[in-house]
Amino acid sequence: MKIDRRNFLSLGAGATAGLAFSPLPWKLMDDSSIWTQNWPWAPVPTDGEASYVDTVCSLCSGGCGITIRKIGDRVVKAEKKDSDNANSGICILGLSSPQLLYSPSRIKTPLKKVEDKWVKISVKQAVAEIAEKLKGLRKDKLSHTLACISGSSAGTVPALFERFLTAYGSPNFITVPSVKDIYKLVFSLTCGASCIPAFDIANSDFVVSFGTGLLDGWGNPAAAFKAHSILKDNKKQLIQIEPRLSNTAAKADKWLPIIPGTEGVLALGMANVIIGKQLYFNKNVLFDSVTEGFEEFKALVEKDYSLEAVSNITGIKQEDITALAEDFMKAQSPVALFGRGEGSTPGSLHEMMAVNFLNALAGNFNKTGGVYLLSEPDYINWTHPVLDDAAYYNINAKRLDGAGEGKYFLAKHLLNRLPEVVNSSKTSPINFLFVTDSNPFYTMADTKLVEEAFKKIPFIVSFSSYMDETASMADIILPNHFFLERYQDIVTTCGLKPAVGLSKPVVNPIFNTIHSGDAIISIAKALGGTIAESFPWDNYETCLQETLEAKKDVMDKELFWIDESGVSNAFADSSGKFEFINDKTRQTKPYIFVDAQGEKKKYPLTLIRFDSMRIASGYTANSPFMTKTVADTVIKENDIFIEINPKTAAEYNLAERSKALLTTPKGKAQVRVHLYEGIMPGIISMPSGLGHTGYDSYLTGKGININELIGQIEDPASGFDAAWGIRAVLARV
Amino acid sequence: MSKGSKHKVKKFGMVIDLDKCTGCGACMVACMSENNVPFKENESKKLDSITWMRVYKLENGKSFPEADICFLPRPCMHCEGDRGHAPCVSVCPAIATDYDHNTGIVSQIYTRCFGCRYCMAACPYHARYFNWRDPVWPEGMEKFLNPNVSPRMRGVVEKCSFCHHRYQLALDKAYAEGRDKIEEDEYQTACAHACPANAITFGDLNNKKHSVYRLKKNPNTFRLLERLGTNPKVYYHSSREWVRRAGDNYLKHEAAKA
Amino acid sequence: MDSALIPEGVKRCSLGRFSVWILALTAILLWGVIAMLLCWFKGLNQTNMNDAYGFALWIWADLAVIALGGGAFFTGFLKYIVGKDELKNIINYAVIIGVICYTSALLLLAIDVGQPLRSWFIFWHANVHSMLTEVAFCLSCYLVVLIIEFLPLLFENPKLDKKPFLRHLSHNMHEIMAVFAATGAFLSFFHQGSLGGVAGVLFGRPFAFREGVFIWPWTFFLFTWSAAACGPCFTILITRLTEKVTNKKLVKDNVVDLLAKISGWMLGTYIIAKIFDTWYWAAYTLPKQGFSLIDFYSNNPFYGIWILVAEIVICGIIPAAILISSGGRKNKRLFMTAIILAVIGVCINRWVMVLQTMAAPVMTFEGWFMYYPSWQEVATTILPVAYGAIFISFAYRYLPIFPQERELNPID
Ligand SMILES: Nc1nc2c(c(=O)[nH]1)N[C@H]1C(S)=C(S)[C@@H](COP(=O)(O)OP(=O)(O)OC[C@H]3O[C@@H](n4cnc5c(=O)[nH]c(N)nc54)[C@H](O)[C@@H]3O)O[C@H]1N2
Ligand SMILES: Nc1nc2c(c(=O)[nH]1)N[C@H]1C(S)=C(S)[C@@H](COP(=O)(O)OP(=O)(O)OC[C@H]3O[C@@H](n4cnc5c(=O)[nH]c(N)nc54)[C@H](O)[C@@H]3O)O[C@H]1N2
Ligand code: SF4
Ligand code: SF4
Ligand code: SF4
Ligand code: SF4
Ligand code: SF4
Ligand SMILES: [Mo]
Repeated sequence: MKIDRRNFLSLGAGATAGLAFSPLPWKLMDDSSIWTQNWPWAPVPTDGEASYVDTVCSLCSGGCGITIRKIGDRVVKAEKKDSDNANSGICILGLSSPQLLYSPSRIKTPLKKVEDKWVKISVKQAVAEIAEKLKGLRKDKLSHTLACISGSSAGTVPALFERFLTAYGSPNFITVPSVKDIYKLVFSLTCGASCIPAFDIANSDFVVSFGTGLLDGWGNPAAAFKAHSILKDNKKQLIQIEPRLSNTAAKADKWLPIIPGTEGVLALGMANVIIGKQLYFNKNVLFDSVTEGFEEFKALVEKDYSLEAVSNITGIKQEDITALAEDFMKAQSPVALFGRGEGSTPGSLHEMMAVNFLNALAGNFNKTGGVYLLSEPDYINWTHPVLDDAAYYNINAKRLDGAGEGKYFLAKHLLNRLPEVVNSSKTSPINFLFVTDSNPFYTMADTKLVEEAFKKIPFIVSFSSYMDETASMADIILPNHFFLERYQDIVTTCGLKPAVGLSKPVVNPIFNTIHSGDAIISIAKALGGTIAESFPWDNYETCLQETLEAKKDVMDKELFWIDESGVSNAFADSSGKFEFINDKTRQTKPYIFVDAQGEKKKYPLTLIRFDSMRIASGYTANSPFMTKTVADTVIKENDIFIEINPKTAAEYNLAERSKALLTTPKGKAQVRVHLYEGIMPGIISMPSGLGHTGYDSYLTGKGININELIGQIEDPASGFDAAWGIRAVLARV
Repeated sequence: MSKGSKHKVKKFGMVIDLDKCTGCGACMVACMSENNVPFKENESKKLDSITWMRVYKLENGKSFPEADICFLPRPCMHCEGDRGHAPCVSVCPAIATDYDHNTGIVSQIYTRCFGCRYCMAACPYHARYFNWRDPVWPEGMEKFLNPNVSPRMRGVVEKCSFCHHRYQLALDKAYAEGRDKIEEDEYQTACAHACPANAITFGDLNNKKHSVYRLKKNPNTFRLLERLGTNPKVYYHSSREWVRRAGDNYLKHEAAKA
Repeated sequence: MDSALIPEGVKRCSLGRFSVWILALTAILLWGVIAMLLCWFKGLNQTNMNDAYGFALWIWADLAVIALGGGAFFTGFLKYIVGKDELKNIINYAVIIGVICYTSALLLLAIDVGQPLRSWFIFWHANVHSMLTEVAFCLSCYLVVLIIEFLPLLFENPKLDKKPFLRHLSHNMHEIMAVFAATGAFLSFFHQGSLGGVAGVLFGRPFAFREGVFIWPWTFFLFTWSAAACGPCFTILITRLTEKVTNKKLVKDNVVDLLAKISGWMLGTYIIAKIFDTWYWAAYTLPKQGFSLIDFYSNNPFYGIWILVAEIVICGIIPAAILISSGGRKNKRLFMTAIILAVIGVCINRWVMVLQTMAAPVMTFEGWFMYYPSWQEVATTILPVAYGAIFISFAYRYLPIFPQERELNPID
């Protein structure tokens, strides 16, 4: 057949028709839709056997019992451990642990900084280099110029670091302070030797919180939430006193906005009402016999804390103060809470003491629904480290931070004093710094000052798992395993019943990281001599096993033990009573509540920080999931918002979302404005935990680190940082 | 009715106690982690941020110091509408979302959905989310993906499933153990299980033994937009009048539902 | 050069001039095509749509072009069913505009869906409860009918007309066109209605929700009615525009006048129904759900009560009154104003039913959602306009669309 144009066309048409009626187009259509269901770039999670492993979360000081769901050797989910144990719970951060485990900002191998660039090195190399440097320092009789900043003072890992410093010959083991330090001080000053409080919130019927962020991250957040829910179930009262309608205030039965910094004044005012009306007699007929220094205290509050004066200072109506005091004393088991927000800054000693006087007046110590005075878990019974002469001589050197002496006689560590000490001397008094379990360069107030100090320190070793701000300043990083990859004992003591939990590895380390406990043991062994001798353990795991031997059964079964044995420890001081005023507290007189820094005229506003469960502001930073939950009135693109009362905003001609320049005596920042009726006029607030420069693209550069804007204020009574805010001014841009 | 036909049909639902909810966001993260919800570098544009569970912040509209706020977690309401005609289900042209009469769960089949978004227009709770882009997990992070829930592709709608796969897992476990019934605590959604405040109670609204059965009867309990006839299976509880009133629309001088 | 393709007895501009015109339109078309490809390959993140605005500009454009394309079915209905024979002089153009509108609508839908390769699921996994399923089926069937109505005209091209087969086909098709027109009219009544139903059934969206009869909300009927009223106005508008561009009279006044008069009456009765609907909605439907009318026209920067006035009074009552009165129709200015207002009116109606529905908050703790389209959305929405202009240009040049053209523009 000849192919001409005509039959070519018919052929084409025929073929087209044929194809149309063939299965081909249908098949192609189907295939294309199947293809869209299996796009090669969409991941398909590999399947495997499911298993559940219990462990203890150490992402904050809460130490929650959690369960990890695994598929094969992958961690897919963190959940709360189903158990009646008060510590079984989980929060938004703990839930993020799979994301944090697999985070791109994990440090995957030891690193060394060479000409401002990171070079990968082996663990061995890193340990050898550190040991070499430390040997040199010791040779020069400068062992006391080694310092260590540790996130915590409790548990075996911090204890190993402290032991290392002792054996090496340095007194400069410094922990990151928190409200816990003040709790200890308040109670050891007034109730006896070394005890820590546990507020029995769940069983109380009237909780007065002086700015404590019960639902904003305080203590063990998960346990605090549970306690609050029980309070709600029992229809008991929560009164929140703070200048901002925080999440805690929003859940409270009553919110009493107060001029910030005057909480202690209110407490003493309430004390005056209680004493004036002799309300305490109803509860404690034999008041004098269980307290000491009451008459002196009575005279103090009567003189300086009249209802009128207190009302003027705090901005709270007289009748509200009276009613609050009366309701507090009328309750069966009232409790007064103190420590601002999540409790990451210690705060003013006198303010805390003032609030705690209310607990004393209510006579609620060691009673259900009151405050239990417990001793700290004490289970690390190692033999003393072996000291050679060099070490012995140098550990008696003065502590760099001055803690425990002179006007700082009350404090054990004062990290907040370090930047000033370093900056004020010509060459850094610290030649070598370990930073473990903490990110001080980010979390300390007055960033500029801190940066200057860190830059001055010749050699820094970081043990961080993440490329956080402090790690980026280090010279060597020996990255720790993530908590899901390691054993560690976790001690929780903040505000609720103290417990010791055991964190167990859930997966094998996924990167070339090293347990900080093993790292410090290896460094000690590399140094040899008495230092090596002080570390008789083969590795951290054997050390931990030995330490916990006595509690093995409990640990294997429950992961926890809760120490309640310490009650007897309270009131062990000479009087055996609660001491309103005694010789020690008299040394810290007069009662001063720390005010914000800055001239009122130049800076008419007051900037305060607020804590949010959705933003991790401590050593652990936000996971991408957490940042995703942050409202667009807190962060939009990279802009951070400050909260301001609409009335105040109007004075500055600021509308919702408008940009403004925020200036404090410590720095400047461009912010956006969010109008919030829940904040006192004249006050502005900003969340803590943002403005990271370290970590990954899911966090870096979002917002501003409030520590850049806030300075430190040394509490005259304790030496701790007591700043709760700073004066500020806004300008429209 | 399927296998357990001797039993009454189930109607899974929630009662969320707004007096207890602290707005902490744990439920949101629990949900994202459980259900392989993707995340981006910038999630501050909330209108394209996928949050099957979203915690709203309600304000009472008053000035300082009378201002009050309340947090309200919003999963999919698994609306029953009139006998299963949920707002979103009846509109879907491809039956990519369906009402299961045995469980009361409104399902979403990602591989069936062709992304017309009619269901999103229909849902008054903004509980449905569209995959405007390909989901991307940074290198390594795909390791935590849950194999029980398939990651979604660009161009389809997704929403809260009441963690249906957790129901399946519970059923499988019971089946393997020779039981034909599961207990209340065997099937709990990820958000309810995670909530540190125990604000979310989940269970079978038809089952007298389940807590939700009792809790939903509290006079301070309400549902969102009940007046539209969506017939949701998520109940809220609040002791505050203004919060209960915020749950629905009322004319100025109209009293809120008693 | 292309004279062999140009129908006998009519004059067309030079090929060169025609090419420049087409090239200009193609440039606009290409802009749209780029945007379209971006949407297909990069996904709908190219748009400013979001989880609150799942339906936006395109869906509005879709509803609007379908309403405007309603001229085809209603003119067909009037000619073939009612027997208004004069309308044969405009029916071809109405059909062409219909084809353009409906193919555009389908194209927009294909860009709009998140998974275009799965679009056929709507037929394969059809949900009979869904108004969108109804729309998809009727729309596709009606497009087929429209194409069948268009084919005979296409075959009248002098070149194609030379093929005996096509000539006969065309002739026979003309014979049975009434059947197709009837089918088309029936399908159209339905899908215009279903489109109204799309919004009206949303009982979770009080702004759009309407009660009704059986499974159909009132919007079902209102959409059909308004399309029947305003579609022909659009046909007239495009006809007049074509006359302006070609500088020729193409359709006799009595034809246009007849169509306009019927449109006027349709619009008048529609607007009465619409007023009744609005009143019933405001007085009964909304209060039951806890809303009052003003809730939907306040507290936002754009949607004020003006839009309701614009839709009902300015673009409804006024053009209806003009078109109904013969004086109004005779006054050229008034007449064109009325035609344009009617077209704008139906577009406003479709706009509010899509965009205001999405914008208005339903939960008490949400605010209004405001939206503006991205350039990709604008470009893809303009794409059909360019495509339509090109289609019309070719059709006008090569097909005997206007039976009266020769008579009105004799060439010596
Ligand atoms: N609504 C709804 N319908 C469904 C499904 C659904 O999920 N929901 N699932 C579908 C699926 S996947 C399936 S497989 C089918 C299952 O549907 P069916 O095959 O109907 O399954 P069953 O209801 O489990 O059991 C059938 C009957 O077999 C009886 N039986 C048990 N053991 C034996 C035996 O040894 N010998 C005999 N002769 N009888 C026995 C049981 O008592 C029961 O009455 O249902 C389908 N239909
Ligand atoms: N206790 C108990 N356990 C049983 C049985 C029993 O009788 N009792 N029966 C067993 C039997 S016979 C069966 S078949 C299984 C059924 O078990 P499954 O198959 O696990 O259960 P289904 O609920 O039918 O469907 C699972 C999910 O698939 C989604 N889905 C539906 N269509 C599609 C689709 O096209 N693509 C995708 N990706 N998802 C889709 C549904 O929305 C649902 O969420 O259960 C078994 N397990
Ligand atoms: S409260 Fe602390 S310990 Fe508990 S889960 Fe959260 S981060 Fe972990
Ligand atoms: S986890 Fe619980 S308390 Fe936290 S936001 Fe969700 S419902 Fe509220
Ligand atoms: S809440 Fe929305 S998505 Fe969920 S069932 Fe109801 S209408 Fe559907
Ligand atoms: S977007 Fe998907 S689920 Fe929603 S209506 Fe369309 S096809 Fe159905
Ligand atoms: S029920 Fe499951 S899917 Fe739904 S919001 Fe809760 S966790 Fe997410
Ligand atoms: Mo089956």
